[in-house]
Amino acid sequence: MFTQVLLLGLVLGCIYGLIALGYSLIYRASGLMNFSQGDILTIGAFLGYTFYGVMGLPFIVSFVLVIAIEVMLGMLIERGVIRRLLGGNANAIYIVLATIAISYILQNGAMIAWGTKTQYFPSVFGIPRINLFGVNIQPEAAFCIVVSFIIMIALHIFTKYTKYGTAMRAAAMDPLAAKACGVNPSMTTALTWGISAAIAGFGGMLIGPVYGVYTTLGSTTGRKGFAGAVMGGFGNMYGALLGGVLLGLIETFVSSYVSSTYKDLVAYGLLLIFLYVKPTGIFNEKSLTE
Amino acid sequence: MRQNLIQKIGIPQIVVVLIAIVAPLILTGVNFSYGILILNFMLVYVVAVSGLDIVFGYSGQISLGHAAYYAIGAYGSVMLHEYVGIPVIFSMIISAVAASLIGIVIAYPASRLRNHFLALATIAFGEIVYQLVAQSPGQITGNFLGFFTDPVNLFGFEFDSNMSFYYFGLVVVVIFLLLKTNLVKSRTGRALIAIRENSAAADGMGINVTLYKVIGFAFSALYCGFAGGMYAHMVQFISPETFMYRQSVMFMTMLLFGGMGNLWGPIIGVITVTLLNEGLRALEEYQMFIYGALMLLVIIALPGGIFGKVKQLVDNTKSRRAQKNADVH
Repeated sequence: MFTQVLLLGLVLGCIYGLIALGYSLIYRASGLMNFSQGDILTIGAFLGYTFYGVMGLPFIVSFVLVIAIEVMLGMLIERGVIRRLLGGNANAIYIVLATIAISYILQNGAMIAWGTKTQYFPSVFGIPRINLFGVNIQPEAAFCIVVSFIIMIALHIFTKYTKYGTAMRAAAMDPLAAKACGVNPSMTTALTWGISAAIAGFGGMLIGPVYGVYTTLGSTTGRKGFAGAVMGGFGNMYGALLGGVLLGLIETFVSSYVSSTYKDLVAYGLLLIFLYVKPTGIFNEKSLTE
Repeated sequence: MRQNLIQKIGIPQIVVVLIAIVAPLILTGVNFSYGILILNFMLVYVVAVSGLDIVFGYSGQISLGHAAYYAIGAYGSVMLHEYVGIPVIFSMIISAVAASLIGIVIAYPASRLRNHFLALATIAFGEIVYQLVAQSPGQITGNFLGFFTDPVNLFGFEFDSNMSFYYFGLVVVVIFLLLKTNLVKSRTGRALIAIRENSAAADGMGINVTLYKVIGFAFSALYCGFAGGMYAHMVQFISPETFMYRQSVMFMTMLLFGGMGNLWGPIIGVITVTLLNEGLRALEEYQMFIYGALMLLVIIALPGGIFGKVKQLVDNTKSRRAQKNADVH
């Protein structure tokens, strides 16, 4: 029982973590919050289902297609909406509301395109169950955990040690000074939105086979993902994933050992408590850089 | 003296109230009594959205959890009435005050959170209240089955028809809007606007930023709480799905459509969005999609809402005319 719950918690936690990574990336690069991240995940899951499940393309081909479309979607949102609002000197609150409007469009667009039924995402590895630490789980679930950690490390290396990553952080800190140093802030911001949408698409492809695909798959996960991001320390890559995993574990343990009635209450309660008591989260950005 | 009173209240205000008084009579005349129900919903929403305007329009603090105060007002009133036996109108007042007090408790620690994080805190609060009413311990809220209740009762008169509730609601709206007009013209209103424009400068001028943010939330929660009570005793049935996150977003959408930080914006927004919802209902699964698209369009193309745009056009014509006059002389 314990190992079973632990593994399920890790899978859920990794999805929260991936969502939170997307939030953190955008927040770090432009100081904004994207409330449509969860619904971008839904779109990724549906696209994956269409390419892999319906059209029967090989998994790796579907995967590349989904990521490519999601990157374009992310950049489209940034170019078409966010850029326009920032250019008009809109209040930060308006950008929050614009991304909420986008989340409505994506979620209900998915409903129009794919219907309200839960779609079955076919198995990726062709084996229904594997035995891990004496527990039978779907291989996709184990895959999900491994891949999430790889993405986190890759993103950390990208933002910290590559030219683009440094440019991205510089543009976030001071766009004008970054421009003077030859950075193109508009390019780096678009890139950030593209990458974070790709991560969401990744998440959708990973949980599709585990949970099935439906229109509200991402929206509730997305809102709860904020709890993970805040707990870990908003804007911190390791914090995002660890906060997400922590949330997933707490939620799964509460619903298994206490009552599934209280799982959402606990998640949002943690979000509120952290915002009030320790808004910098467990992994305070400063304490990590010092 | 009478002249002064009319000018003090404002001619547009009086005209709108007169139109509002005859509107249901006309609807009955053309045999469209469903229209009166829609008008009743508009009255409830005007109270709620005007309350949201105090926080968002005047003090510039975002809230994506106002459905929570709406829920506290509705469930509080119904439970006080059904379990304790308090007459409906008093149960509505008590639960609106309770919503206001809870607003203070939530807003005090939230007052140091900036835009995005305040949005998150209010979402979290909204979800917590939703979870509590949807899955209450011992099913005291009726959980997903909902809760039936009585209509508003004032000195033995029951406002149980759509028509009678309408006039009760209209009086409530006028009282709340008069209160709002006076509030925003007062010292408190000026402090709220100063905080919206520049909270650091407001602090420098000696305004207690935390205190006034909390006062703004308290009034806002009072409005939404009372609107919740109105809703509960108008429909005479409540269930959790009315108080979800999307209700908070709808209040915000109404405010965005109409325009914020003034008397008319919330009214125009409520009328537009309610009619839009009714009109889009025929499109079934496309309803929410179009709703989202329109919301995005307003944010990009009409940042001041409908009222803001009209006011801008009027101001432009006025200044152009003034310019022309100045050129002639």
